Amino acid sequence: MRGMKGATLFHWLAGCGLILSGALCASALGPWADARLGPLSSALGGGALLAALFAIAFYHCRWLNRRSRVFFESLAQMDPMRAVDPADFPRLPAGHPLADAARQLQSLFVAVGERLRLLEQTSATFEVRAIRAAHEAERIRQVFMGLSDPVLAVNQYGELVLINRAARELTGLSDDEPAGGPLTEAIDAPKLVDLITTTLRRPPGSTRGVELEWHLPGQPQRWYRATACKTGDDGRDAGVVAVLRDISDRKALQRRHAEFVSSVSHEMKTPLAGIKAYVELLADGDAEDEATREEFLRVINSQTERLQRLIDNLLNIARIEAGVVEVRKEPRSLNEILDEALRVVRPAAEAKQIDLQGDLSPLYLGVAADRDMLLQAAINLLSNAVKYTRPGGRVVLRSRMSDEEVRFEVSDTGVGLTADDCEKVFEKFYRVKKDKDMASGTGLGLPLTKRIVEDVHGGRISVESVVGEGSTFIVTLPAAGQRVVQSQGERT
Amino acid sequence: MSKSILLCDDEVHILRAAEFKFQRAGFDVRTAADGLEGWEQVMARRPDLVITDWQMPRLDGFGLVQRIRAEESLSDLPIMMLTAKGFEVSHEELRARWGVYAVVAKPFSPRELLIRASELLETEPAAAGAVSAS
Repeated sequence: MRGMKGATLFHWLAGCGLILSGALCASALGPWADARLGPLSSALGGGALLAALFAIAFYHCRWLNRRSRVFFESLAQMDPMRAVDPADFPRLPAGHPLADAARQLQSLFVAVGERLRLLEQTSATFEVRAIRAAHEAERIRQVFMGLSDPVLAVNQYGELVLINRAARELTGLSDDEPAGGPLTEAIDAPKLVDLITTTLRRPPGSTRGVELEWHLPGQPQRWYRATACKTGDDGRDAGVVAVLRDISDRKALQRRHAEFVSSVSHEMKTPLAGIKAYVELLADGDAEDEATREEFLRVINSQTERLQRLIDNLLNIARIEAGVVEVRKEPRSLNEILDEALRVVRPAAEAKQIDLQGDLSPLYLGVAADRDMLLQAAINLLSNAVKYTRPGGRVVLRSRMSDEEVRFEVSDTGVGLTADDCEKVFEKFYRVKKDKDMASGTGLGLPLTKRIVEDVHGGRISVESVVGEGSTFIVTLPAAGQRVVQSQGERT
Repeated sequence: MSKSILLCDDEVHILRAAEFKFQRAGFDVRTAADGLEGWEQVMARRPDLVITDWQMPRLDGFGLVQRIRAEESLSDLPIMMLTAKGFEVSHEELRARWGVYAVVAKPFSPRELLIRASELLETEPAAAGAVSAS
């Protein structure tokens, strides 16, 4: 700045010096020139002065021009879209006629640069937010698409605007078909469409639900609970989001419970029917002789016991499931318990002409057992075998020591089970189709046996079967006590 | 000639109680342990009335009713059902569609069963002969 001012001052001082020198020279040489040249001398003096003035002006103009060119070249090299450091901005000397304009331009550049910097910061912030929003949207989309529950949404015009993968699979809408069309064309489920369109006419926040039966080709029937919610306000954002929840398992459980109640009521009514009928026959005096009266009383007694057993079974399974059963496990001989079970079941086997055999191990098979419960389990398995074996068939009860475990198995030459039945036969309330035709039952015997063996005694139960040839139920229990050879008399 | 009744039930004691009651009332009673045996007896000799349980092995009571109704010569055979089934049986449909005269729920009264059977047989045009109710 100081240099630029000095340069301008130098130009003026030099100019003034030249003019003064010219004037001095003219005054000094004036007499000589006047004498020698006469009037021409004045003209020469004036010309010299003009020349000096012209030279000064020329030189100054060149200097101004060079300075201006440098200024504009520097200005041209500057990026108008970048912030400017005032120290880097090109300058013009103080005496330059464009110096003020240059300063104003500098201020403008600095202000614009500052504004640009702020805009760049704001832009960067928005860019980061946009990227975050895009990531968030993608994450929400992934979650939405990956939801196991089918979800779909329609806009205020009833057009399908969102549908996740599960909903596409359910409705049969392929991934290639974009959402956006009318719901009624996209989905062939009148009840669901009706739910959504009805909800669309409701106030915002309204929720409605309905249970739907869904048939997919080649798949078992499914049940869904569809819940539709009116979203947004009644304006442009209005729409309905519908979520479908698979309730097939709950429905199946309800059906099984209903079947169970029906089965239990049937099983209870049958002995009750006997009791009521024979009591009435006795009361009406139909039994005229003592033998008939005794026969009727025996039937009443047996049916009362049958009812008692059924109720005991129901209560036992309920107690074990609720964990409130009182278990009294003591060291026991498995063979003794199995002997007792054979004794209990033998009359039923003989009545059906079934050969019931005991093939018990000569070893002492010690188990830590609740005697009554394990006896119940063995009786259930033997009773089942007798029940589902045709007259003339054979049922064998075996016991063996196996490593650190003891096992017993009940084999029969009965109707057998399919692989599917083998998987489900221990489920509560499950009854094999052909068993329903062959004998009555509640579907509780085997589930109860499984709970007694596994939950109460820490053992395992399994079944091997061939349809038409027979079944073998295998029970394995942790061994307790010593192996001692029993006397032959203790065996069956 | 006394009226003949065919009783079908897989529960021996139920069969015995009903048989006892009807025999004392003078009916000619035959029994069957399941629907298939009942069907064979119907085909062997047409009874005047069939009283059948619903749930039976081999062929259930409903299956027996269907077989009887499918046979032209038996389409007018009076049938009563004796069942411990509850809500899963539509009594109305059994009456309207399958011509089951009455559905009697277990536990039942042998006395009332006899009264209803007697009423049914007396109202039948072909019901000739003595029916003595206790």
